[in-house]
Amino acid sequence: METVLSTQQLTKNFGRLCAVNHLDLEVKRGEVFGMLGPNGSGKTTTLGMLMGVVNPTAGNFSWFGQPPSHHIRKKIGAVLEHPIFYPYLSGQKNLELMALIKEAPVTNIPKVLELVELSDRKGDKYKTYSLGMKQRLAIASALLNDPIVLILDEPTNGLDPMGIAEIREIIKRIATDGKTIILASHMLDEVQKVCSHFAILRKGNLVHSGPVDDVGKGEEQVEVVAFHDDLALLLEGFMGASSIKKENHQYVVKMKEGFHSQDLNRYLFEKGIVATHLVTQKKSLEKQFLEILAEADHAAPIKN
Amino acid sequence: MLHLLKIDLKKLIDYRTFWVICGLYFFTLVAGAASGMEFLKWLGRTFEQFGQSININRIPLYHFPDIWQNLAWSAGLLKLGLAIMVVISITNEFTYRTIRQNIIDGLSREQFLISKMLTNLMLSAISMILIFLIAMVTGLIYSPTLDFPYGLTGIGFYPAYFLEVFAFLSFSLMLGVLIQRSGLTIILLLNSYLIELIIRENIDNYFPQTVPFFPLESIMNLVPLPFARYAFQEVRDYVSLGSIAIALVWTFLFNYFAYLKLKKSDI
Repeated sequence: METVLSTQQLTKNFGRLCAVNHLDLEVKRGEVFGMLGPNGSGKTTTLGMLMGVVNPTAGNFSWFGQPPSHHIRKKIGAVLEHPIFYPYLSGQKNLELMALIKEAPVTNIPKVLELVELSDRKGDKYKTYSLGMKQRLAIASALLNDPIVLILDEPTNGLDPMGIAEIREIIKRIATDGKTIILASHMLDEVQKVCSHFAILRKGNLVHSGPVDDVGKGEEQVEVVAFHDDLALLLEGFMGASSIKKENHQYVVKMKEGFHSQDLNRYLFEKGIVATHLVTQKKSLEKQFLEILAEADHAAPIKN
Repeated sequence: MLHLLKIDLKKLIDYRTFWVICGLYFFTLVAGAASGMEFLKWLGRTFEQFGQSININRIPLYHFPDIWQNLAWSAGLLKLGLAIMVVISITNEFTYRTIRQNIIDGLSREQFLISKMLTNLMLSAISMILIFLIAMVTGLIYSPTLDFPYGLTGIGFYPAYFLEVFAFLSFSLMLGVLIQRSGLTIILLLNSYLIELIIRENIDNYFPQTVPFFPLESIMNLVPLPFARYAFQEVRDYVSLGSIAIALVWTFLFNYFAYLKLKKSDI
């Protein structure tokens, strides 16, 4: 598949602080690529470098296999951090100005306004918009030039649940058009719902990257509840268990590879026990995220 | 080029502050330039002695060819109004962070600066054309005789006036790019003459030959004060190529410093 973005050893230092450290990333065409990381992990700085507003300290990157230039930026729709517009101009005028800069046809403006449902308010000054409307106008502006790549940085920041759901719907709709989307967020749930690939940054270091579908693969965990006094002993006798933990009223059995919940169920049944509760825990991205961060912490203790 | 000018004008054309400041500026320019004679008459009415010792009708304020330099110099005093507009226009881009979005959207940093410089050029050109038209009209009204081409001597002060305005706007643009805050920039802009004067006066005692090379001094030197000639003093009534050269170098440097700052900073 065609590579849309690749970075080689991209680095940014702010004085003594290393915001992004030798970052290697690759994004292919059609991916919805989630960039995860706690606040201050270097997501926005990375996107800033990719969009030409932050000068990299070292390393380089390429869009579509070409060195960066302002011509390439015109084909990318990007909103970094929060929406930025001229407050004294109306939504429509702001988009007209953007169309001039991006050399996009003005006829696209009604289309994108319709997409984000802002047509009614297009004549009002930007400063009168609510936060949700500002975010939606930002998405409209990013779509203005019918971009091949869309970069969204915390697009649901500060929105109410309804606004978040709306923006998520818009992103999904855009993704089905086959556009490549790079989405920076610390809302894990959001990334799991819309992304196909993800990368995790921590203090400027890339600590993980891979497809979202891989999340939840690997060893299974099963919750078990049964009325039996020596359940713990019995469970330890199960050859598929790698560890057993007691959490509240239930036991959590971590399975060895190749063993599944039905094996445990069969084993218990053979011992004459009927479980009242037997559930395979689905590993969420959140859990995996925290695990990966914990591993990274363990591997590289915070240096001061 | 035209495309970049269009981008910057698009930002200003719906900005009320722009129209208020430019409106005030062009109004004072026209009204001020056209009412010099009325001012002299008022002086004559108010102070009895004024009318007796000097016959105001014999001061050739609006006569060709004096009028060219007189109006160019007077109009030069008002350029501060435009400069404040330029400062607001550039510092807004930093306060609203729209410069960041402009670059994300596909302007290069050079293009961004050029778009601002083009607006400066346009404002300078409009000022020059306007003051030229006023000079033409008032000159035709007040001049007792029309003696061309003698009446056109000194018309070279108009390109010099254009350079004076553009150099000063470039200076303001540079201050705005360096400081990025409107209040602070405007205060510094207002004080810049004073600051330069203090430095200049101190250096004057030791290296008087360096004085014409001071940036704001060089801008003022383009069109020298003409009115002393009515008190029988000698004034320079031609455009000196040396002053043009010095002002051109400073204009280049102002814009180049702004470019360097934009180039190397994270926006």
